Amino acid sequence: MPQSSLYQEEHYPSPLQYTWMEFKKNHIAVAGLFCFAFFLIITIFCPLLAPFDPNMQQIGDLLIPPSWYPNGGISHLFGTDALGRDLLSRIIYGCRTTFGISLLLVVVAMFLGVGLGALAGMSKGFRSSFINHTLDSIQAIPTLLIAIIIIAILGTGLVNSMWAIALALIPQFVHQTRDFIRHELSKEYIMAAKLDGASKTHIFMHSILPNMGEMLVVQGTLALSVSILDISALGFLKLGAQAPSSELGAMLLEGIEVAYIAPWTIAVPGGALFIMIISINLVGDGLRSALRNRLLH
Amino acid sequence: MLSSICLCACDGLLLSKTDPNGIVYCSEGSPANFNPQLDTSGTTVDASSHQIYDRLIDFDPVTGDFVPALATSWLISDDGKTYTFQLRRKVSFHDTQTFTPTRYFNADDVLFSIDRWRLMTHPFHQISGGRYPYTDSLKLADLITKVTRLNGYRVEITLNKPESSFLANLATDFAVILSAEYADKLISRNQKELIDHKPVGTGPYQLASFRQDRYIRYTKHPKYWRNIQLTDKLIFDITPSSSLRLAKLITAECDAIALPAHSELEVIKQQDALVLDEKPGLNIGFWAFNTSKAPFNNPEVRRALGMAIDKNALIEAIYFNSAILAKNIVPPTSWAFQSDVKALSYNPIAAKKLLREQGIPENFSMTVWAMPVQRAYNPNATKMAELIQAYLQEVGIQVNIISYEWSTFRERLTQGIHDSVLIGWSADNGDPDNFYRPLLSCAAIESGTNRAMWCSQEYDLLINKALQYTDISERTYFYGQANELLAEQLPLIPIAHASRYQAHRKELQGLVINPYGGVRFGGVKKL
Amino acid sequence: MTKVLLRYTNLVLATLFVLSLLSFILAYLFPGQAIENLTGLRLLELTERQNSELKYAVDANILVQYWHYMGELFAGNWGVSFSSGLPLIEDVSHYLPASIELSAYALFLSFFIGLPLGFLAALRHHKFTDYSLLSVSLLGYSIPVFWLALILILFFSLQLGWFPLSGRISLLFEIPRATGFILIDILLSDSIDKSAALTSALRHLILPTLSIAVVTTTLIIRITRRSVIKTLNSEFILAAYARGLTPRQVLMRHGVRNALIPILPLLAMQFPTLLTNAMIVESIFSWPGIGNWLIQAIYQQDYPAIRAGMLAVSVLVVIFTMSIDLTIRLTDPRRRRAERATI
Repeated sequence: MPQSSLYQEEHYPSPLQYTWMEFKKNHIAVAGLFCFAFFLIITIFCPLLAPFDPNMQQIGDLLIPPSWYPNGGISHLFGTDALGRDLLSRIIYGCRTTFGISLLLVVVAMFLGVGLGALAGMSKGFRSSFINHTLDSIQAIPTLLIAIIIIAILGTGLVNSMWAIALALIPQFVHQTRDFIRHELSKEYIMAAKLDGASKTHIFMHSILPNMGEMLVVQGTLALSVSILDISALGFLKLGAQAPSSELGAMLLEGIEVAYIAPWTIAVPGGALFIMIISINLVGDGLRSALRNRLLH
Repeated sequence: MLSSICLCACDGLLLSKTDPNGIVYCSEGSPANFNPQLDTSGTTVDASSHQIYDRLIDFDPVTGDFVPALATSWLISDDGKTYTFQLRRKVSFHDTQTFTPTRYFNADDVLFSIDRWRLMTHPFHQISGGRYPYTDSLKLADLITKVTRLNGYRVEITLNKPESSFLANLATDFAVILSAEYADKLISRNQKELIDHKPVGTGPYQLASFRQDRYIRYTKHPKYWRNIQLTDKLIFDITPSSSLRLAKLITAECDAIALPAHSELEVIKQQDALVLDEKPGLNIGFWAFNTSKAPFNNPEVRRALGMAIDKNALIEAIYFNSAILAKNIVPPTSWAFQSDVKALSYNPIAAKKLLREQGIPENFSMTVWAMPVQRAYNPNATKMAELIQAYLQEVGIQVNIISYEWSTFRERLTQGIHDSVLIGWSADNGDPDNFYRPLLSCAAIESGTNRAMWCSQEYDLLINKALQYTDISERTYFYGQANELLAEQLPLIPIAHASRYQAHRKELQGLVINPYGGVRFGGVKKL
Repeated sequence: MTKVLLRYTNLVLATLFVLSLLSFILAYLFPGQAIENLTGLRLLELTERQNSELKYAVDANILVQYWHYMGELFAGNWGVSFSSGLPLIEDVSHYLPASIELSAYALFLSFFIGLPLGFLAALRHHKFTDYSLLSVSLLGYSIPVFWLALILILFFSLQLGWFPLSGRISLLFEIPRATGFILIDILLSDSIDKSAALTSALRHLILPTLSIAVVTTTLIIRITRRSVIKTLNSEFILAAYARGLTPRQVLMRHGVRNALIPILPLLAMQFPTLLTNAMIVESIFSWPGIGNWLIQAIYQQDYPAIRAGMLAVSVLVVIFTMSIDLTIRLTDPRRRRAERATI
């Protein structure tokens, strides 16, 4: 039966639906979303997907080129590294380490950031300005410097570098949340809630927070790409994840030693990182312009 | 018009290579100081021995014979106890920012240089730590009873017993001649510590400036006594990463590099502008156990661990087949080498059984210290440690790999807190004693070259006996017995004797591999 | 005006105070003895020196110690490095200019390319040029800077042999140090072949500058584009059109200035990112800058160096961002605070 609308009435999509419709128009962004989903799947199911143990060293198979090279083999799709470890498996596990940890860090930073931002946004006076100033100064210090200090105190390692990156991510969330709350507080529906006698907490939990979702997603994608860049940069500088770990930046560093004879050992992990960040930025960009377009209409 | 200017500018920028005249050598690390008496590390030796200093006698790098250097001739008494050296005249010391020499080199400088490490009471003995690892490990200070100045250009050294390797020791990189006049100046200025950091020698190049982890600059010694080609400037560009060194060689930022990585030798051979020299090396890479610590004080445990690793696979993975499997601690080119000594074969099952029999539980955990620098005898200790980690996992042993920055690493090794260590030794002269004594004698524990912390009276007796004879067949007999003792006791597992490589650009001429130690730039020129 | 100046001076002083306090506390947080971390001298050497003043400071309470520490800081006595044994103030003043020089050129290059392209994209909003510029800039800021640097090295240095890959200048040149900025030092010196030295320095500069500039340029393109679009949609532009001005006149008289003013503070906020990238790139190109030096200090557990380096870099950042903030405030008093960048 053909579907036809009986009524002349127009269908008004919900804001979320509208955003999705706008987002769908941007094909590249959708491709980015698929890519993003792909990395998410890899992160979750990596033990099932990896053909080999990422740390298994096959001494007979050192530096085998990837399968697209004339002398490459099919058993190691991306070839092997200088210790005879399967690069595909290492990349898959590396995506888990780099992508998974970044995701985790962003979620943690988001919670803390929104909490602090709410505190700063809902309050006035000294408390608010204190939070602002502290965060401004943290934001002014380069991430790498924060990381260097934290690592100097706690020692090198993936976990310690995570602290540093989380600390560097929080301020953005705080600022965004605070600005958002300030903005919303001046709107009429809040005034209405206030007139109904709602407390500050109630206003935040029931009126403002539900509206923040989209802003947080956009901000989250931004933070995610920053966090991936930072984590891999620290791994690359030997300050974060250490050698045997299959973190993408650390793998890239290992690859440098043989870069000239085995260029794929830096091409493959770097490429994976690049695609990962592009897909995240595409999604973020798409979302942002979708939101912008929605607001324009 | 504009574009043509642009093109010209680009051309100039890309292609003009109008660097000043000089040689750039990419070395692998910062020297601890500029006095090889104080440090056996190859880095320090490279930076000082043959550039800043001269010795009384030298090895001919090709034949290995003794050739005159600061001593023009020498005489050995019939009882083998007295050595008389006739010194070269009109040899000038460096004229540096801190010191202007007023006299030529003479016997006082020889006395000063030897007495500094020989006499505990010498005013300079305690400067820079008071440790002289090479001479201490050989107990040379005890061997020499006196050093006398016969006249300004004649020196006599008396030993308390004949020792066949004595002359070879005087020709090593460590037996450099310092300036006594400079030392006196420093005493009067109360700046004694400068002697090892602002060095003055007679060598072909003098130190101009040094910046830690970045570069060492040398300038030509204008009054050098040898009539050889010198360039105005010699620069050591300190580049710890071997791949970066190769990259710089390719882009002509370096004219020669230290220690090309074994994985990259093929690349160097393929490049037309580069030259790769190879020589069988007088070295040994090994895995030493800390025998002062349980359970590694048990030879059977050491044997089991040795059986658990496949040395052939290590050689393939780490040395890319540019090394040979080691059986003794001396390489096959040495006359003390014994091919019939029994080597451990790879047998993880037997190893596991033996470990359990010796009471080592499943999941026993130990440390393997991996040196952070590349050496010819072990181009990638960390990677080797990772492979060993995998092998020992199979016999139920957990390995923690430990590494520190190089000077910290060696300091802590000397303290003996390691379980086992991957390290090695490069010979400084052709005499096999140069392997046996520094590596495993009791005296070498304290001087910090005996990484196994192994002390055996029987072994010390054997290698001391070997020194009392000059006849090679008699010495071979004692070294043979020492080899057997080592094969039985296994304080260390010999892994490989690696070939020595040196890579340089075609323009650079006259650079040869010095089999007995440090690199030399005197006589090297750039076309 | 004076009020604003006073407020900013106050703010800068307060921040600097916090930073100095932080660097002091770090000496306690780092592993090892605080006194070693503060002076860079080992305990052994300290007792050797029998420095009574120092001893007093060690035994006194923490406030006195801090006071003493500040005194030493201002006297230029920052302690010595564990690894090289050189005075830290000398090391920092040696390495910091190299970093500033590199970042400045990269920033300059980014402006030079980014601003015009940003305008172009905005003027062709929703057209092909806009989309392609956007996509390229998306690629540009997604690329990990260390990977980019490696690829540039592999291609331009190793394959083509055009550019050297390490350092600021061929080591064969000995440039007397005057300002610490290599190009200026070359021009000031008279003992060497200037044109050869300049060529060498420029060849060394190109790749690191490019690596840093790629990310910054794409950011500038995006920020400029957004700002111009926003400006062109404003009512005063509409009013200008209504007065009958041509699009060109509108852009020149009203668009450029009004679009550029908000860009500056947003860019200032990218400065920490720029510095982070510069530090990474320095360590790849063995550039003798502060980032490379700090990273080496971590490897060698050289805590006094980390303390001093952190203080120097953060002071630099604070002064830089604050002075940009102040300039904006003085030129355009309507603005309250710098807005956050949207790219």
